[in-house]
Order: sequence, then structure tokens, then C-alpha cells
Amino acid sequence: MSALTGYRVLELSESVAGEYCGKLLSDFGAEVIKLENPDGGSPTRYQGPFAPRGDDPERSGLFAYLNTNKCSVALDVQRAAADHQLDKLLRTVDVVIDDHAAGWLQEIGLDPATVEIRYPGLVLCSITAYGQSPPEDRLHAQDLTVFHSSGWGYHTPGVDDKQQPPLQGAGRFLPSYEAGLEAALCVTSALYEREKSELGRFIDISKLEVLASRADYVLAQMVAGDMPVGPQRTAYNLQGPAGIFPCRDGFAYIWMSAPAHWDALRKMLGNPEWMKSFPDNWLERECTQERVAEVRRYLARWLVTQNKHEVAALAQEQGLTLVAVNNAGDLSSSAQYQFRGFFSDVDHPVQGAVAYPTVPYKLSETPARIVSPAPLLGQHTQSALAALSGGEQ
Amino acid sequence: MRGGPLQGVRVVELTKVWAGPCVGKLLGYLGAEVIRVESEGSLDVTRTYGVDEINNAPGFQSVNPEKLSVQVNMKTKEGIAIILDLLGKSDILVENLRPGAVKRLGLGYEDVRATKPDIIYVSMGMFGSEGPLSYQTGYAPCFAALGGLSSRVGYEGGAPEGMNIRYADSTFGAAAAYGALVALLHRRRTGVGQFVDVSAVECMSSMIGDTLMDYALNGAIVGCEGNRHAEMAPHNVYPCRNDEWISIAVNSDAQWASLAQRMGQPELATQPSFCSHSMRKAHEAELDTVIAAWTVKQDACELSRELQLHGIAAARSQSSLDLVGDPILWERGFYQDVSDREGRAKATLGPSWKMTRAASINHAAPQLGEHNAYVLGDILGLSSEEQQRLTDAGITR
Repeated sequence: MSALTGYRVLELSESVAGEYCGKLLSDFGAEVIKLENPDGGSPTRYQGPFAPRGDDPERSGLFAYLNTNKCSVALDVQRAAADHQLDKLLRTVDVVIDDHAAGWLQEIGLDPATVEIRYPGLVLCSITAYGQSPPEDRLHAQDLTVFHSSGWGYHTPGVDDKQQPPLQGAGRFLPSYEAGLEAALCVTSALYEREKSELGRFIDISKLEVLASRADYVLAQMVAGDMPVGPQRTAYNLQGPAGIFPCRDGFAYIWMSAPAHWDALRKMLGNPEWMKSFPDNWLERECTQERVAEVRRYLARWLVTQNKHEVAALAQEQGLTLVAVNNAGDLSSSAQYQFRGFFSDVDHPVQGAVAYPTVPYKLSETPARIVSPAPLLGQHTQSALAALSGGEQ
Repeated sequence: MRGGPLQGVRVVELTKVWAGPCVGKLLGYLGAEVIRVESEGSLDVTRTYGVDEINNAPGFQSVNPEKLSVQVNMKTKEGIAIILDLLGKSDILVENLRPGAVKRLGLGYEDVRATKPDIIYVSMGMFGSEGPLSYQTGYAPCFAALGGLSSRVGYEGGAPEGMNIRYADSTFGAAAAYGALVALLHRRRTGVGQFVDVSAVECMSSMIGDTLMDYALNGAIVGCEGNRHAEMAPHNVYPCRNDEWISIAVNSDAQWASLAQRMGQPELATQPSFCSHSMRKAHEAELDTVIAAWTVKQDACELSRELQLHGIAAARSQSSLDLVGDPILWERGFYQDVSDREGRAKATLGPSWKMTRAASINHAAPQLGEHNAYVLGDILGLSSEEQQRLTDAGITR
């Protein structure tokens, strides 16, 4: 048995945040029943990347990734709410996850106050952009706009550039993955307590707050008045020459903040003439813009002649913090990822067998496992509904 | 009693800087009692960054509210024995010391398990605790670079700019906290503890799972795309008055028509080059130019409000100044006060979540060794004479 075997989760989610939360639970053995609109299924079934084979609604690699180990029950949730099917279902599950906009749960009769009375043992988790009661000027959101509300956008990249816009994060869904992770954390804590108390709980996850909390080290200092705030796009920056530089075969990232890094660089480069004019502790004590610019010039000149993985390996030997800027191909062939089994072959009945990314934590007794691929739309409708009516008799 | 779902759970931290302390912070905010074991000979650098007074370091205070601190000299055998005794009365250990350090201290998983067989032992490393690269170390931006994130952040066709330098540690912490709680729940149901081995780089990769799926399915290596999104157009950040910026994301023809209306150019919605999602994607640079020419004359805050009232996802790109003044973050209690040992109130970040029967959060980060008497006396049952002897011998303080 895995750690969450035996828990039943009803997934009402229809976007990345809630589906990712469900996946984090189902990959540890929770039985996740995904309600899908019979008219086409989850909207993520129509979002890329797409497999080279298969047709809608079974060709989305996004859906396949987010819904491993789940069951799909094609059921119109509004109708199910009206004819008590939803009520029956709710009496058989431990957890409900939703990621519709604020107010949607109330529309299907699941406002938190009612749920607490009718289903006292139910853990209900809602993921929204701005929490349960957003003001009227924050009713509509996408991951891009939440990322920019959270401060991460404005400071990406951390340059004072009046011409180029600040950027979204890596990929399209980082805010959703972050919120899904936070939701899984809270749900698991609630299940832990419920083992003793038998009480459910309502959990309200705001993507904005999850993202803002991911900058806690700086933002808490700012809100406490210990770190300056202002309109600068450089406000989250650290001083020094750290940054990404082009290499012969891609890019490398170099970090420099302490005299030890400077010494390591000196060893690495064979103590070149230009380094001799710098004080040994300049990174900590005398880090001027001129010095940073000069170092960056020399670093750029050097690294462009190097291959990223080779120079990174040499640097680690010397104690210099320099790493390759990896892309998806690099990760796929990473010996470290292979050693840890980060990629796992999953055979999808339509899309075929490919290596899926898995999870970043290895549990020695109850590792996360992908046992079954994402369900076809409505694959488990009959068995689930039969079980429900059976339960009634 | 602070309440919360993890009330009664005890967590011990052997952590440094940001990611490890973040795990304890999350578990503490869920109600656990979190004890930081600190050793004066190898203090967390965030206790000294930019300040002379180790009990008043803003960086340390930001990620350690509501924790306890016990000061134990880890260079002594007796100090290590005290830590093992404490672990014998604890549920979770979190460590993010340099690779191999806990083993050298005699506090590796096998050592701890000998004392406390059902411990949840959470080990955090850049690449995890084992494997060909597990000896390597780095800082947050290294995690983002190695994990595949940095290569995705940059202007279309340009060199990677990378994620913000502050990104990664708290994500790493959240993933480790989740792994720890799954293990804790398993222990509550079966009595079995385990080793939880977390890789910072893999945490980053899991934030771009769909990008990795694209490679798995199609061999695609996607680089920098600016603010582009395959399923939405317009989807960008546009200039406003006073060097401010607004993010706008449109995901239907109806929303686009509404935006064109607000722009005073309703004909844009039906113009052949912009009339459908695929046409807007095909002419996205032109689309962005038209929109930017309009937004640049507007106030970001007012425009965001106006677009919201017409059903369009828009938000001002918030600076640090905007963020600390954001009313929703104050109203929801995300920003809240905690009080220090002298009773002085100080604002900090509360939890990102709201929940029924939540844990209360009242106390600022601890002073070094502030809770020695509680840990050594109340938890370990040492007499005050014995505590005095340990202090005199330089083992505790």
C-alpha cells in the first residue's frame, strides 16, 4: 500500500492547479475520482503539448501528465447536484478539490458553511486566484495576471528596463503548479488531523498568496520595514556579477557572492593579470558597479569558449558555483535524473509509451508511483455510478 | 495551544539559510512545534547577514517565525547525544546541511533511526542525497538553471534571462514539507517512519512538467517565448503611464471583442487578421503593438479595474511598493503581526492559506537559544543543575 491508499478524493477541478493537486495525491495511492463534463471533458484535454497521435479528447500530453492514476467519471456536475447524485458521491469521499472561480462552489450548493454541517468529515479544498471573496476588480485571472500581481512578474528579469516588458515565469503554468502543491500540503495536513478528530475542514488557497509566500525571505523583510521597497524592477536583486552567460553549446549560470568564490575563479582561470587589481574581499565589501561590469566582461569572454557541462564539472571541483542552464533534452539525458528515476515510462492507450516527469521527493517506504495512465474520458463512469446505486441498496 | 491540523507534532530543524527553514515554517504554520537546533560554532549565515546583532537579523526573522531555538554545541559528543535525545521525542527531522555533513556529525538517518525507529527524516539537497551529482552544491538560481526553468524565461528568440534570483528555495521547501506530511500520515496509519529525500533541481523541473511532456512526446525543446501562450492572445504585459505595466490575458473571442470595445476600436475584433485565436496568434506582434499604443496612455491601476469590470483578466504588474500596500493581502491577513520576546509587534507574512480551525501565529523568530530551558528541562527532563553543568561545560548555552 502507498501512503494515501484508501482515501477517496472527488476532483471537481477543471484546470491545471486543481488537477495537479489531485495528481500529487493520486500518485501516492489516493483514489481520485475526476468528474468530467460529458460534453468534451476537462478543458485541459484541449491544451498542449499534444501527442503526435490520437484525436481529441485523448491527445493532450498536458491532461495525460496531470491525471495519472485517476478515474474519469463523465457526469454533469450541475445536474448531479440537482438530482442528489452529487450528494451521494460526497458521502463516499474524504476530500473534494475544486479550482473554479470564487463563487462556483456556492452555485452547486457546496458553500463551505453548508458543507461543514452536511458533511462534517469532508475536507474541502478550493483553489482560486485571489481567495474566496475577491473584490470586483479581481474577479478575472489567468496565471500571467496572478504572476504579475504577486511581484514575481515585475522583477523578472531584475533589470531597470523601460522598454522591454517584465515577463511571465517559466512556462505557462508555474502559478498553478505552485498552488496545486500548496493545496496538496494543506489537504494532507487536514487528513492527518482527521484520523483522530474525524472532522473535515475547509481550505481556501489563493494563488496570489502562494506566489507571494514563495518570496517570503525578501517580502517579509519588506513588509517589516527592514528592506527598502520601491518602483525599481531590481528590488529583489542581490549585488554582484552572478548571471547567465553564453557558452559554446548553450548557457551556463555562475554565482559569486563570497571571497571563496573569487579564489575558486582565480584557480580555475590560472590567476590571470586582470584579477590581480581586485581586493580579495571585494565581493563582500567593495562590490562596485564598475568591478561587476569588468568581471562580467571577462566571464563572458571565457565562458563563450567553454562547453556548459564540462566547465560546470571542472568548476565544482574547484569550489566555484557554476552550473549548466539545462533544457528539457539535458534533463532527459541527465545521469542524476536517471539514477533517481525522475522520469517514469507510462503507457497511454492512445498516446503510446513515453517517459513522464515524476515528483521531486523520494519516500523510502511509500514512493510515489504511476500505476495507471490518465483515464480516457468517462472510462470509469459506469463502474462508479453502479457502485453509487449499489451503495444505496 | 496554537491549534491547527499539526498540533502535537514536533519538528526538529538542522537547517541553514532559506529552503530548510521554509519547511519548518510551513509545518509550524500548520500547527507543529518546530525547534531549530543551532550551534554557535556554525551559525546560520542569515543570523549575521548585514547586522551585528544575531538576534535581530531581518533575513533570519523572515523565515523563522513561531519557531523555538535551542543552542547546542554540535562539535561535542555530548551535544550530539542531546540532539539524539530530542529526536527520540520528535516526529520529523528536516536537514539541508551540505552533502555528507549530517553523517559526519553522527546524525545521519541510520544514527537517528537507531534512537527513534519511526522518525520521518527529511533530507534536502541540490540533487538529492544520492547519485552521481549528489556531491554538488549551489544556490537557488542554480536550482532554477539546472532544473530547466531558466532556459524558458526570456524574450522571444533571445538568450535566457532566467527566473528571478530569489525564486526556488520556498518552492523546494514546500515540496519537502509535502513529502514530510505524506510520510507522517503514513506513520499515523501504520506506525512506520521513513526517509524522505528531496532534490531541489527536481522541484524546479516539476514546475514545468508540461514542458518536459512536450519533449517526451515530440522531442521539442522550447526556449524563451517572452510572454507568449499557445492558447491565449493577446497574452502579454503592456506599458502604461509612469513606467508602469499591465498584464492582460484574453482567452476567448468574446473577451477580445470586449477589449477592442474598451480600446475604442471595436472593428479590431472583426478585422480578418485578429478575428480568431489562430489569426491573432499569427499576427501577435502586430496585435501587441496596437494594444501597447493604447495602454501606454493609461494609468495601470485604473485600466486594470476597467478591464476587470468588463470580464477581462488584467492586473497591474506590482512592484515591491505595490505589493506591500496591496489591500487584499492585508484584509485576508496574509500580512500579519507577530510579537518578539519583548512584546514588540512586527509585521511578517502569515500562511498563504486560510482554513477552518487554523493554527494561530503569534511569535516572531526566536533569539539564539531562547528555548534551551524548555527543550532541555521540559522536553528532555534535565534538572536545572544538569542544565547548568552543560552550560558550564560549553555544550549548551
